[in-house]
Amino acid sequence: MAEGFDIDHLAKLARLSLTAEEKALFASQLGQILGHFQTLAQADLPASADDARVVDESALRSDEPGPVLGAEAVTRIAPASRDGQISVPRVVDDES
Amino acid sequence: MVDALHELSAVELGRRLASGALTSRALCEALIARHRTLNDKVGAFTHLDEADVLAQADASDARRKAGRGRGPLEGIPVGIKDNVAVKGQPLTCSSKMLAPLVSPYDSHVAERLRASGAILYGRLNMDEFAMGSSTENSAFRKAFNPWDLGRIPGGSSGGSAAALAAGLVPLALGSDTGGSIRQPASHCGVVGLKPTYGLISRFGLVAFASSLDQIGPMARSVEDCALLLDALASADARDMTCFGPSDRAFTPAGDARKLRIGVPKGFLGKGVAPEVAAAVNAAVEFYRSQGCAVSEVELPSADLAVPTYYVVATAEASSNLGRYDGVRYGHRSAVSGTPVEMMTASRSEGFGPEVKRRILLGTFVLSAGYADAYYVRALRARAKIRAEYLAALSGVDVLLTPTVPTPAFKVGEKAADPLQLYLEDVFTIPANLAGLPAISVPCGKSGRLPVGFHLVGAPLSESKLLAAGRLFEDAHGYAHQQAPL
Repeated sequence: MAEGFDIDHLAKLARLSLTAEEKALFASQLGQILGHFQTLAQADLPASADDARVVDESALRSDEPGPVLGAEAVTRIAPASRDGQISVPRVVDDES
Repeated sequence: MVDALHELSAVELGRRLASGALTSRALCEALIARHRTLNDKVGAFTHLDEADVLAQADASDARRKAGRGRGPLEGIPVGIKDNVAVKGQPLTCSSKMLAPLVSPYDSHVAERLRASGAILYGRLNMDEFAMGSSTENSAFRKAFNPWDLGRIPGGSSGGSAAALAAGLVPLALGSDTGGSIRQPASHCGVVGLKPTYGLISRFGLVAFASSLDQIGPMARSVEDCALLLDALASADARDMTCFGPSDRAFTPAGDARKLRIGVPKGFLGKGVAPEVAAAVNAAVEFYRSQGCAVSEVELPSADLAVPTYYVVATAEASSNLGRYDGVRYGHRSAVSGTPVEMMTASRSEGFGPEVKRRILLGTFVLSAGYADAYYVRALRARAKIRAEYLAALSGVDVLLTPTVPTPAFKVGEKAADPLQLYLEDVFTIPANLAGLPAISVPCGKSGRLPVGFHLVGAPLSESKLLAAGRLFEDAHGYAHQQAPL
Protein backbone atom coordinates (compact mmCIF):
# COMPACT_ATOMS: atom_id res chain seq x y z
CA MET A 1 0.00 0.00 0.00
CA ALA A 2 1.31 3.41 -0.91
CA GLU A 3 2.31 5.55 2.02
CA GLY A 4 -0.34 8.10 2.91
CA PHE A 5 -3.15 6.27 1.16
CA ASP A 6 -6.18 7.07 3.34
CA ILE A 7 -9.40 5.66 1.93
CA ASP A 8 -11.64 7.75 4.21
CA HIS A 9 -9.92 10.98 3.20
CA LEU A 10 -10.07 10.09 -0.50
CA ALA A 11 -13.75 9.16 -0.30
CA LYS A 12 -14.46 12.52 1.31
CA LEU A 13 -12.50 14.38 -1.39
CA ALA A 14 -14.33 12.41 -4.10
CA ARG A 15 -17.74 12.97 -2.49
CA LEU A 16 -18.35 9.24 -2.15
CA SER A 17 -19.87 7.47 0.81
CA LEU A 18 -18.44 3.95 1.05
CA THR A 19 -19.65 0.98 3.07
CA ALA A 20 -17.16 -0.82 5.33
CA GLU A 21 -16.96 -3.63 2.75
CA GLU A 22 -16.28 -1.19 -0.09
CA LYS A 23 -13.58 0.56 1.95
CA ALA A 24 -11.78 -2.72 2.66
CA LEU A 25 -12.08 -3.92 -0.95
CA PHE A 26 -11.03 -0.66 -2.59
CA ALA A 27 -8.14 -0.09 -0.16
CA SER A 28 -6.78 -3.53 -0.96
CA GLN A 29 -7.27 -3.28 -4.73
CA LEU A 30 -5.95 0.26 -4.98
CA GLY A 31 -2.92 -0.75 -2.91
CA GLN A 32 -2.17 -3.47 -5.48
CA ILE A 33 -2.65 -1.10 -8.39
CA LEU A 34 -0.43 1.56 -6.82
CA GLY A 35 2.17 -1.14 -6.25
CA HIS A 36 2.16 -1.75 -10.00
CA PHE A 37 2.68 1.97 -10.52
CA GLN A 38 6.05 1.79 -8.75
CA THR A 39 7.71 1.20 -12.14
CA LEU A 40 6.93 4.85 -12.78
CA ALA A 41 8.74 5.91 -9.61
CA GLN A 42 11.87 4.06 -10.69
CA ALA A 43 11.89 5.09 -14.36
CA ASP A 44 14.39 7.45 -15.91
CA LEU A 45 12.12 10.18 -17.28
CA PRO A 46 12.56 13.44 -19.18
CA ALA A 47 12.59 16.56 -17.02
CA SER A 48 9.63 18.11 -18.82
CA ALA A 49 6.18 16.82 -19.63
CA ASP A 50 5.69 19.36 -22.41
CA ASP A 51 6.07 16.75 -25.15
CA ALA A 52 3.18 14.75 -23.67
CA ARG A 53 0.78 17.02 -25.54
CA VAL A 54 -0.68 15.21 -28.51
CA VAL A 55 -1.91 18.34 -30.26
CA ASP A 56 0.45 21.28 -30.62
CA GLU A 57 -2.07 24.02 -30.14
CA SER A 58 -5.62 24.13 -29.04
CA ALA A 59 -7.75 26.00 -31.49
CA LEU A 60 -9.72 28.72 -29.75
CA ARG A 61 -12.95 29.68 -31.43
CA SER A 62 -14.02 33.30 -31.57
CA ASP A 63 -15.57 34.53 -28.36
CA GLU A 64 -19.04 35.14 -29.67
CA PRO A 65 -22.41 34.09 -28.29
CA GLY A 66 -23.83 31.03 -30.04
CA PRO A 67 -26.91 28.87 -29.71
CA VAL A 68 -27.49 27.40 -26.23
CA LEU A 69 -30.00 25.02 -24.74
CA GLY A 70 -33.03 26.92 -23.55
CA ALA A 71 -34.34 26.85 -19.98
CA GLU A 72 -37.10 24.46 -20.99
CA ALA A 73 -34.64 21.86 -22.36
CA VAL A 74 -32.41 22.24 -19.32
CA THR A 75 -35.13 21.93 -16.70
CA ARG A 76 -36.67 18.98 -18.56
CA ILE A 77 -33.57 16.88 -17.81
CA ALA A 78 -33.01 18.23 -14.30
CA PRO A 79 -33.88 15.93 -11.38
CA ALA A 80 -36.12 18.61 -9.88
CA SER A 81 -37.24 22.01 -11.09
CA ARG A 82 -39.76 24.71 -10.25
CA ASP A 83 -40.84 27.81 -12.18
CA GLY A 84 -38.19 27.29 -14.88
CA GLN A 85 -35.40 26.90 -12.31
CA ILE A 86 -33.50 23.84 -11.08
CA SER A 87 -34.36 23.12 -7.44
CA VAL A 88 -31.67 22.04 -4.99
CA PRO A 89 -31.55 21.54 -1.21
CA ARG A 90 -31.28 24.77 0.74
CA VAL A 91 -27.72 26.08 0.40
CA VAL A 92 -27.81 29.09 2.73
CA ASP A 93 -29.50 28.95 6.13
CA ASP A 94 -32.01 31.62 7.09
CA GLU A 95 -30.46 34.32 9.23
CA SER A 96 -31.60 33.98 12.80
CA MET B 1 -31.78 -17.11 -53.33
CA VAL B 2 -32.23 -13.83 -51.48
CA ASP B 3 -29.18 -12.80 -49.47
CA ALA B 4 -29.72 -12.38 -45.77
CA LEU B 5 -29.52 -8.62 -45.35
CA HIS B 6 -27.73 -8.86 -42.01
CA GLU B 7 -24.79 -10.58 -43.74
CA LEU B 8 -24.16 -7.82 -46.25
CA SER B 9 -21.48 -5.18 -45.91
CA ALA B 10 -22.38 -1.53 -45.60
CA VAL B 11 -20.79 -0.91 -49.01
CA GLU B 12 -23.00 -3.58 -50.61
CA LEU B 13 -26.08 -2.32 -48.78
CA GLY B 14 -25.28 1.16 -50.12
CA ARG B 15 -25.12 -0.22 -53.67
CA ARG B 16 -28.47 -1.96 -53.36
CA LEU B 17 -30.11 1.06 -51.78
CA ALA B 18 -28.74 3.29 -54.53
CA SER B 19 -29.94 0.95 -57.29
CA GLY B 20 -33.42 0.77 -55.83
CA ALA B 21 -33.12 -2.99 -55.20
CA LEU B 22 -33.53 -2.34 -51.47
CA THR B 23 -35.26 0.21 -49.29
CA SER B 24 -34.02 1.44 -45.96
CA ARG B 25 -37.35 0.40 -44.44
CA ALA B 26 -36.92 -3.22 -45.64
CA LEU B 27 -33.37 -3.24 -44.29
CA CYS B 28 -34.35 -1.79 -40.91
CA GLU B 29 -37.32 -4.15 -40.59
CA ALA B 30 -35.02 -7.12 -41.20
CA LEU B 31 -32.52 -5.89 -38.60
CA ILE B 32 -35.27 -5.17 -36.07
CA ALA B 33 -36.61 -8.72 -36.54
CA ARG B 34 -33.11 -10.10 -35.92
CA HIS B 35 -32.72 -7.83 -32.90
CA ARG B 36 -35.92 -9.22 -31.38
CA THR B 37 -34.59 -12.75 -31.74
CA LEU B 38 -30.96 -12.30 -30.72
CA ASN B 39 -30.39 -9.22 -28.59
CA ASP B 40 -31.48 -10.87 -25.34
CA LYS B 41 -28.81 -13.52 -25.91
CA VAL B 42 -26.02 -11.14 -26.84
CA GLY B 43 -26.88 -8.05 -24.79
CA ALA B 44 -25.40 -5.76 -27.44
CA PHE B 45 -28.04 -3.04 -27.32
CA THR B 46 -29.53 -1.48 -24.21
CA HIS B 47 -32.19 0.47 -26.12
CA LEU B 48 -33.79 0.37 -29.57
CA ASP B 49 -36.66 2.68 -30.49
CA GLU B 50 -38.15 0.68 -33.38
CA ALA B 51 -40.70 3.33 -34.35
CA ASP B 52 -38.03 6.02 -34.50
CA VAL B 53 -35.76 3.79 -36.61
CA LEU B 54 -38.57 3.10 -39.09
CA ALA B 55 -39.47 6.80 -39.24
CA GLN B 56 -35.82 7.62 -40.06
CA ALA B 57 -35.81 4.85 -42.69
CA ASP B 58 -38.98 6.17 -44.32
CA ALA B 59 -37.51 9.66 -44.38
CA SER B 60 -34.37 8.30 -46.03
CA ASP B 61 -36.36 6.38 -48.65
CA ALA B 62 -38.39 9.52 -49.36
CA ARG B 63 -35.23 11.62 -49.79
CA ARG B 64 -33.76 9.09 -52.17
CA LYS B 65 -36.97 8.86 -54.17
CA ALA B 66 -37.01 12.64 -54.49
CA GLY B 67 -33.40 12.63 -55.73
CA ARG B 68 -32.14 14.24 -52.51
CA GLY B 69 -30.07 11.33 -51.16
CA ARG B 70 -27.41 12.68 -48.85
CA GLY B 71 -24.41 10.42 -49.33
CA PRO B 72 -22.88 6.96 -49.14
CA LEU B 73 -24.50 6.19 -45.77
CA GLU B 74 -28.01 7.11 -46.95
CA GLY B 75 -30.43 4.64 -45.39
CA ILE B 76 -27.76 2.53 -43.64
CA PRO B 77 -28.16 1.92 -39.89
CA VAL B 78 -25.28 2.83 -37.57
CA GLY B 79 -25.37 1.59 -33.96
CA ILE B 80 -24.35 4.24 -31.44
CA LYS B 81 -22.36 3.56 -28.29
CA ASP B 82 -24.33 4.85 -25.35
CA ASN B 83 -21.83 7.60 -24.50
CA VAL B 84 -22.43 9.51 -27.75
CA ALA B 85 -25.26 12.04 -27.63
CA VAL B 86 -28.16 11.71 -30.07
CA LYS B 87 -30.96 14.21 -29.55
CA GLY B 88 -34.08 12.60 -28.14
CA GLN B 89 -32.39 9.25 -27.39
CA PRO B 90 -31.21 7.93 -24.01
CA LEU B 91 -27.62 8.85 -23.05
CA THR B 92 -26.83 6.59 -20.12
CA CYS B 93 -23.18 5.47 -20.47
CA SER B 94 -24.62 2.19 -19.11
CA SER B 95 -24.71 3.87 -15.69
CA LYS B 96 -27.47 4.23 -13.13
CA MET B 97 -26.15 7.76 -12.72
CA LEU B 98 -27.47 8.73 -16.15
CA ALA B 99 -30.32 6.21 -16.43
CA PRO B 100 -32.99 8.92 -16.58
CA LEU B 101 -31.19 11.10 -19.13
CA VAL B 102 -32.50 11.73 -22.65
CA SER B 103 -30.03 13.81 -24.63
CA PRO B 104 -31.27 17.32 -25.43
CA TYR B 105 -28.73 17.73 -28.25
CA ASP B 106 -26.80 15.95 -31.01
CA SER B 107 -23.09 15.21 -30.80
CA HIS B 108 -20.99 16.36 -33.72
CA VAL B 109 -20.76 12.78 -35.00
CA ALA B 110 -24.55 12.41 -34.79
CA GLU B 111 -24.87 15.56 -36.90
CA ARG B 112 -22.36 14.13 -39.37
CA LEU B 113 -24.24 10.84 -39.59
CA ARG B 114 -27.55 12.62 -40.16
CA ALA B 115 -25.87 14.74 -42.85
CA SER B 116 -24.68 11.51 -44.49
CA GLY B 117 -28.20 10.07 -44.47
CA ALA B 118 -27.40 7.32 -41.94
CA ILE B 119 -30.05 5.84 -39.64
CA LEU B 120 -29.07 6.45 -35.99
CA TYR B 121 -29.87 2.99 -34.77
CA GLY B 122 -30.17 2.16 -31.07
CA ARG B 123 -27.96 2.52 -28.03
CA LEU B 124 -25.08 0.09 -27.64
CA ASN B 125 -24.10 -1.48 -24.34
CA MET B 126 -20.75 -0.57 -22.77
CA ASP B 127 -18.76 -0.65 -19.58
CA GLU B 128 -20.07 2.06 -17.28
CA PHE B 129 -18.63 5.43 -18.40
CA ALA B 130 -16.34 3.44 -20.77
CA MET B 131 -14.34 2.09 -17.82
CA GLY B 132 -13.58 -1.55 -18.42
CA SER B 133 -12.45 -4.18 -20.89
CA SER B 134 -15.31 -6.68 -20.73
CA THR B 135 -18.69 -4.87 -20.71
CA GLU B 136 -19.27 -6.63 -17.39
CA ASN B 137 -19.33 -3.17 -15.80
CA SER B 138 -22.57 -2.16 -17.52
CA ALA B 139 -25.10 -1.26 -14.83
CA PHE B 140 -27.96 -2.64 -16.94
CA ARG B 141 -26.90 -5.94 -18.43
CA LYS B 142 -23.80 -7.82 -19.46
CA ALA B 143 -22.96 -8.21 -23.13
CA PHE B 144 -21.63 -11.55 -24.38
CA ASN B 145 -19.25 -12.61 -27.11
CA PRO B 146 -21.33 -13.92 -30.04
CA TRP B 147 -18.59 -16.47 -30.83
CA ASP B 148 -18.94 -18.01 -27.35
CA LEU B 149 -21.77 -16.72 -25.19
CA GLY B 150 -19.90 -17.78 -22.04
CA ARG B 151 -17.17 -15.26 -22.78
CA ILE B 152 -16.83 -11.50 -22.70
CA PRO B 153 -17.01 -9.46 -25.92
CA GLY B 154 -14.31 -7.10 -24.64
CA GLY B 155 -14.93 -3.50 -23.75
CA SER B 156 -15.67 -0.85 -23.20
CA SER B 157 -17.28 -0.81 -26.69
CA GLY B 158 -18.34 -4.44 -26.18
CA GLY B 159 -21.91 -3.80 -27.29
CA SER B 160 -20.66 -2.31 -30.57
CA ALA B 161 -18.37 -5.26 -31.35
CA ALA B 162 -20.96 -7.86 -30.28
CA ALA B 163 -23.68 -6.21 -32.40
CA LEU B 164 -21.48 -6.36 -35.48
CA ALA B 165 -20.40 -9.96 -34.90
CA ALA B 166 -24.02 -10.99 -34.32
CA GLY B 167 -25.21 -9.28 -37.52
CA LEU B 168 -27.47 -6.90 -35.60
CA VAL B 169 -26.15 -3.82 -37.40
CA PRO B 170 -23.68 -3.24 -40.27
CA LEU B 171 -21.78 -0.29 -38.75
CA ALA B 172 -21.20 0.95 -35.22
CA LEU B 173 -19.59 3.80 -33.33
CA GLY B 174 -17.22 3.07 -30.49
CA SER B 175 -15.04 5.26 -28.33
CA ASP B 176 -11.47 4.48 -27.37
CA THR B 177 -9.56 5.84 -24.37
CA GLY B 178 -7.07 2.99 -23.91
CA GLY B 179 -8.22 0.35 -26.38
CA SER B 180 -11.99 0.38 -26.02
CA ILE B 181 -12.60 0.11 -29.78
CA ARG B 182 -9.71 -2.15 -30.75
CA GLN B 183 -9.79 -4.71 -27.89
CA PRO B 184 -13.48 -5.67 -28.35
CA ALA B 185 -13.01 -5.61 -32.14
CA SER B 186 -10.23 -8.16 -31.72
CA HIS B 187 -12.28 -10.34 -29.36
CA CYS B 188 -15.32 -10.32 -31.66
CA GLY B 189 -13.57 -10.71 -35.02
CA VAL B 190 -14.43 -7.28 -36.40
CA VAL B 191 -12.46 -4.21 -37.49
CA GLY B 192 -12.06 -1.21 -35.19
CA LEU B 193 -10.12 1.98 -35.75
CA LYS B 194 -9.03 4.61 -33.25
CA PRO B 195 -8.26 7.75 -35.23
CA THR B 196 -5.47 10.25 -34.64
CA TYR B 197 -6.31 12.34 -31.58
CA GLY B 198 -8.24 15.37 -32.81
CA LEU B 199 -9.43 13.91 -36.11
CA ILE B 200 -13.01 13.40 -34.92
CA SER B 201 -14.79 15.92 -32.73
CA ARG B 202 -15.52 14.87 -29.14
CA PHE B 203 -18.41 17.33 -28.90
CA GLY B 204 -21.25 15.25 -27.45
CA LEU B 205 -19.03 12.36 -26.35
CA VAL B 206 -19.43 11.93 -22.58
CA ALA B 207 -15.95 12.66 -21.23
CA PHE B 208 -13.92 9.96 -19.49
CA ALA B 209 -10.28 11.08 -19.98
CA SER B 210 -10.34 13.99 -22.38
CA SER B 211 -6.70 13.92 -23.51
CA LEU B 212 -7.10 10.26 -24.55
CA ASP B 213 -10.74 9.85 -25.68
CA GLN B 214 -11.55 9.44 -29.37
CA ILE B 215 -14.68 8.31 -31.18
CA GLY B 216 -14.02 5.81 -33.96
CA PRO B 217 -15.64 3.49 -36.51
CA MET B 218 -16.25 -0.25 -36.12
CA ALA B 219 -17.39 -2.60 -38.88
CA ARG B 220 -17.08 -6.13 -40.24
CA SER B 221 -14.57 -5.11 -42.92
CA VAL B 222 -11.82 -2.58 -43.46
CA GLU B 223 -13.69 -1.02 -46.37
CA ASP B 224 -16.81 -0.48 -44.25
CA CYS B 225 -14.67 0.96 -41.46
CA ALA B 226 -13.18 3.45 -43.94
CA LEU B 227 -16.64 4.40 -45.18
CA LEU B 228 -17.76 5.31 -41.65
CA LEU B 229 -14.50 7.08 -40.76
CA ASP B 230 -14.84 9.25 -43.83
CA ALA B 231 -18.29 10.35 -42.72
CA LEU B 232 -17.16 11.20 -39.17
CA ALA B 233 -13.92 13.15 -39.68
CA SER B 234 -14.43 16.88 -40.00
CA ALA B 235 -13.45 20.07 -38.25
CA ASP B 236 -15.60 21.28 -35.35
CA ALA B 237 -15.01 24.50 -33.43
CA ARG B 238 -16.89 23.09 -30.43
CA ASP B 239 -13.98 20.73 -29.62
CA MET B 240 -10.85 22.83 -29.19
CA THR B 241 -8.60 19.82 -29.86
CA CYS B 242 -10.37 18.88 -33.10
CA PHE B 243 -8.51 19.77 -36.26
CA GLY B 244 -10.42 17.27 -38.40
CA PRO B 245 -9.76 18.21 -42.00
CA SER B 246 -13.00 18.41 -43.91
CA ASP B 247 -11.45 18.02 -47.35
CA ARG B 248 -9.61 14.74 -46.83
CA ALA B 249 -11.03 11.37 -47.84
CA PHE B 250 -10.08 8.55 -45.51
CA THR B 251 -9.99 5.58 -47.80
CA PRO B 252 -7.43 2.79 -48.10
CA ALA B 253 -4.69 4.53 -50.11
CA GLY B 254 -1.26 3.72 -51.44
CA ASP B 255 0.34 0.40 -52.30
CA ALA B 256 0.39 -1.55 -49.05
CA ARG B 257 3.02 -3.87 -50.50
CA LYS B 258 5.54 -1.05 -50.19
CA LEU B 259 4.91 -0.43 -46.49
CA ARG B 260 7.72 -0.75 -44.00
CA ILE B 261 6.48 -2.73 -41.01
CA GLY B 262 8.08 -2.56 -37.59
CA VAL B 263 7.61 -5.36 -35.07
CA PRO B 264 8.45 -4.15 -31.56
CA LYS B 265 11.04 -6.29 -29.85
CA GLY B 266 9.63 -8.53 -27.13
CA PHE B 267 5.96 -7.79 -27.86
CA LEU B 268 5.25 -11.36 -28.93
CA GLY B 269 6.82 -12.85 -25.85
CA LYS B 270 5.82 -12.63 -22.21
CA GLY B 271 2.11 -12.87 -21.49
CA VAL B 272 1.01 -13.48 -25.10
CA ALA B 273 -0.97 -16.69 -25.62
CA PRO B 274 0.79 -19.06 -28.07
CA GLU B 275 -2.18 -19.14 -30.46
CA VAL B 276 -2.27 -15.31 -30.51
CA ALA B 277 1.48 -15.15 -31.16
CA ALA B 278 1.10 -17.73 -33.96
CA ALA B 279 -1.72 -15.83 -35.68
CA VAL B 280 0.14 -12.51 -35.44
CA ASN B 281 3.41 -14.06 -36.65
CA ALA B 282 1.52 -15.45 -39.62
CA ALA B 283 0.26 -11.93 -40.38
CA VAL B 284 3.86 -10.63 -40.22
CA GLU B 285 4.94 -13.37 -42.63
CA PHE B 286 2.05 -12.54 -44.94
CA TYR B 287 3.20 -8.93 -45.23
CA ARG B 288 6.78 -10.06 -45.81
CA SER B 289 5.56 -12.38 -48.57
CA GLN B 290 3.79 -9.45 -50.21
CA GLY B 291 7.02 -7.48 -50.42
CA CYS B 292 6.76 -5.36 -47.29
CA ALA B 293 10.02 -4.64 -45.49
CA VAL B 294 9.73 -6.05 -41.99
CA SER B 295 12.15 -5.03 -39.27
CA GLU B 296 12.41 -5.20 -35.51
CA VAL B 297 12.08 -1.92 -33.61
CA GLU B 298 12.87 -0.93 -30.04
CA LEU B 299 10.27 0.60 -27.72
CA PRO B 300 12.22 0.52 -24.46
CA SER B 301 9.58 2.25 -22.30
CA ALA B 302 6.76 -0.10 -23.24
CA ASP B 303 6.53 -1.34 -19.64
CA LEU B 304 5.62 2.17 -18.49
CA ALA B 305 2.52 2.40 -20.68
CA VAL B 306 -0.03 0.68 -18.40
CA PRO B 307 0.87 2.55 -15.17
CA THR B 308 1.19 5.84 -17.08
CA TYR B 309 -2.21 5.35 -18.64
CA TYR B 310 -3.98 4.43 -15.42
CA VAL B 311 -2.56 7.49 -13.64
CA VAL B 312 -3.43 9.93 -16.44
CA ALA B 313 -6.82 8.39 -17.27
CA THR B 314 -8.04 8.11 -13.69
CA ALA B 315 -6.81 11.62 -12.85
CA GLU B 316 -8.79 13.05 -15.75
CA ALA B 317 -11.77 10.84 -14.94
CA SER B 318 -11.89 11.96 -11.32
CA SER B 319 -12.08 15.53 -12.56
CA ASN B 320 -14.50 14.91 -15.45
CA LEU B 321 -16.89 12.87 -13.31
CA GLY B 322 -17.02 15.61 -10.70
CA ARG B 323 -19.90 17.05 -12.73
CA TYR B 324 -22.24 14.25 -11.64
CA ASP B 325 -23.61 15.80 -8.50
CA GLY B 326 -27.33 15.15 -8.73
CA VAL B 327 -28.05 18.83 -9.37
CA ARG B 328 -28.48 19.52 -13.09
CA TYR B 329 -29.12 16.10 -14.64
CA GLY B 330 -28.84 12.41 -13.91
CA HIS B 331 -29.58 10.59 -10.69
CA ARG B 332 -30.48 12.55 -7.54
CA SER B 333 -30.68 10.66 -4.27
CA ALA B 334 -33.83 10.77 -2.18
CA VAL B 335 -31.56 11.37 0.80
CA SER B 336 -32.28 14.87 2.02
CA GLY B 337 -29.99 17.12 4.01
CA THR B 338 -27.32 19.60 2.99
CA PRO B 339 -26.33 19.99 -0.67
CA VAL B 340 -23.07 18.10 0.01
CA GLU B 341 -24.97 15.23 1.64
CA MET B 342 -27.31 15.10 -1.35
CA MET B 343 -24.37 15.14 -3.80
CA THR B 344 -22.46 12.46 -1.91
CA ALA B 345 -25.51 10.21 -1.70
CA SER B 346 -26.34 10.74 -5.40
CA ARG B 347 -22.81 9.83 -6.48
CA SER B 348 -22.60 6.84 -4.15
CA GLU B 349 -25.92 5.45 -5.40
CA GLY B 350 -25.33 6.30 -9.06
CA PHE B 351 -21.80 5.03 -9.72
CA GLY B 352 -20.85 1.35 -9.91
CA PRO B 353 -17.74 -0.20 -8.33
CA GLU B 354 -15.27 0.25 -11.21
CA VAL B 355 -16.17 3.91 -11.60
CA LYS B 356 -15.78 4.49 -7.86
CA ARG B 357 -12.44 2.66 -7.90
CA ARG B 358 -11.12 4.87 -10.69
CA ILE B 359 -12.44 8.09 -9.16
CA LEU B 360 -10.68 7.20 -5.89
CA LEU B 361 -7.46 6.34 -7.72
CA GLY B 362 -7.60 9.55 -9.75
CA THR B 363 -8.34 11.58 -6.64
CA PHE B 364 -5.29 10.05 -4.94
CA VAL B 365 -2.83 10.64 -7.81
CA LEU B 366 -3.90 14.29 -7.96
CA SER B 367 -4.03 14.90 -4.22
CA ALA B 368 -1.75 17.30 -2.36
CA GLY B 369 1.59 15.66 -1.62
CA TYR B 370 1.17 12.90 -4.25
CA ALA B 371 0.53 14.69 -7.53
CA ASP B 372 4.25 15.17 -8.25
CA ALA B 373 5.06 11.55 -7.53
CA TYR B 374 2.22 10.14 -9.61
CA TYR B 375 0.46 12.53 -11.98
CA VAL B 376 3.41 14.71 -12.99
CA ARG B 377 5.71 11.69 -13.37
CA ALA B 378 3.05 10.01 -15.51
CA LEU B 379 2.94 13.06 -17.80
CA ARG B 380 6.72 12.88 -18.15
CA ALA B 381 6.49 9.15 -18.91
CA ARG B 382 3.80 9.91 -21.47
CA ALA B 383 6.17 12.35 -23.19
CA LYS B 384 8.85 9.65 -23.28
CA ILE B 385 6.50 7.01 -24.70
CA ARG B 386 5.26 9.41 -27.37
CA ALA B 387 8.83 10.33 -28.34
CA GLU B 388 9.79 6.65 -28.64
CA TYR B 389 6.77 5.85 -30.81
CA LEU B 390 7.37 8.84 -33.09
CA ALA B 391 11.05 7.89 -33.39
CA ALA B 392 10.14 4.30 -34.27
CA LEU B 393 7.60 5.55 -36.83
CA SER B 394 10.22 7.72 -38.50
CA GLY B 395 11.89 4.52 -39.71
CA VAL B 396 8.82 2.40 -40.50
CA ASP B 397 5.28 3.11 -41.69
CA VAL B 398 3.38 0.98 -39.19
CA LEU B 399 4.02 -0.97 -36.00
CA LEU B 400 2.46 -4.43 -35.87
CA THR B 401 1.60 -6.22 -32.61
CA PRO B 402 -1.24 -8.37 -31.26
CA THR B 403 -4.25 -6.26 -30.28
CA VAL B 404 -4.77 -8.19 -27.04
CA PRO B 405 -2.40 -10.71 -25.41
CA THR B 406 -5.02 -13.46 -25.05
CA PRO B 407 -8.37 -14.41 -26.63
CA ALA B 408 -11.64 -13.43 -24.90
CA PHE B 409 -11.82 -14.72 -21.33
CA LYS B 410 -14.79 -16.27 -19.57
CA VAL B 411 -17.47 -14.04 -18.08
CA GLY B 412 -16.54 -13.37 -14.44
CA GLU B 413 -13.01 -14.76 -14.79
CA LYS B 414 -11.23 -11.47 -14.05
CA ALA B 415 -14.04 -9.57 -12.35
CA ALA B 416 -12.38 -9.65 -8.93
CA ASP B 417 -8.94 -8.61 -10.14
CA PRO B 418 -8.96 -5.13 -11.68
CA LEU B 419 -5.20 -5.07 -12.20
CA GLN B 420 -5.32 -8.18 -14.40
CA LEU B 421 -8.10 -6.57 -16.40
CA TYR B 422 -6.04 -3.39 -16.82
CA LEU B 423 -3.25 -5.45 -18.38
CA GLU B 424 -5.60 -6.42 -21.26
CA ASP B 425 -4.82 -2.98 -22.66
CA VAL B 426 -1.04 -3.32 -22.76
CA PHE B 427 -0.75 -3.17 -26.57
CA THR B 428 -3.49 -0.63 -27.24
CA ILE B 429 -2.74 2.02 -24.59
CA PRO B 430 0.39 3.57 -26.17
CA ALA B 431 -1.55 4.80 -29.24
CA ASN B 432 -3.83 6.78 -26.92
CA LEU B 433 -0.95 8.16 -24.86
CA ALA B 434 0.83 9.25 -28.05
CA GLY B 435 -2.31 10.40 -29.91
CA LEU B 436 -1.62 8.02 -32.81
CA PRO B 437 -4.08 6.23 -35.12
CA ALA B 438 -4.39 2.46 -34.72
CA ILE B 439 -6.53 -0.33 -36.13
CA SER B 440 -7.39 -3.89 -35.11
CA VAL B 441 -7.92 -6.35 -37.97
CA PRO B 442 -9.04 -9.99 -37.55
CA CYS B 443 -6.23 -12.42 -38.38
CA GLY B 444 -7.19 -15.84 -37.11
CA LYS B 445 -8.92 -17.91 -34.49
CA SER B 446 -8.03 -19.63 -31.27
CA GLY B 447 -10.58 -22.42 -31.32
CA ARG B 448 -13.82 -20.57 -31.95
CA LEU B 449 -12.47 -17.28 -30.66
CA PRO B 450 -11.27 -14.54 -32.99
CA VAL B 451 -7.78 -13.07 -32.74
CA GLY B 452 -6.79 -9.67 -34.14
CA PHE B 453 -3.58 -7.88 -34.97
CA HIS B 454 -2.92 -4.23 -34.30
CA LEU B 455 -1.32 -1.61 -36.50
CA VAL B 456 -0.19 1.80 -35.20
CA GLY B 457 0.89 4.58 -37.55
CA ALA B 458 2.15 8.15 -37.49
CA PRO B 459 -0.39 10.97 -36.97
CA LEU B 460 -2.92 11.12 -39.82
CA SER B 461 -1.75 7.88 -41.42
CA GLU B 462 -5.25 6.36 -41.30
CA SER B 463 -5.22 5.69 -45.05
CA LYS B 464 -2.05 3.61 -44.71
CA LEU B 465 -3.54 1.60 -41.83
CA LEU B 466 -6.67 0.97 -43.88
CA ALA B 467 -4.64 -0.03 -46.95
CA ALA B 468 -2.53 -2.44 -44.90
CA GLY B 469 -5.64 -3.89 -43.28
CA ARG B 470 -7.37 -4.34 -46.59
CA LEU B 471 -4.38 -6.06 -48.18
CA PHE B 472 -4.52 -8.65 -45.40
CA GLU B 473 -8.29 -8.88 -45.46
CA ASP B 474 -8.46 -9.40 -49.23
CA ALA B 475 -6.09 -12.34 -48.98
CA HIS B 476 -7.82 -14.03 -46.05
CA GLY B 477 -11.36 -15.03 -45.22
CA TYR B 478 -11.93 -12.95 -42.11
CA ALA B 479 -13.88 -10.01 -43.53
CA HIS B 480 -17.64 -9.96 -43.08
CA GLN B 481 -17.51 -12.84 -40.63
CA GLN B 482 -20.44 -13.32 -38.29
CA ALA B 483 -20.79 -15.65 -35.37
CA PRO B 484 -23.09 -18.66 -35.89
CA LEU B 485 -25.95 -17.87 -33.52
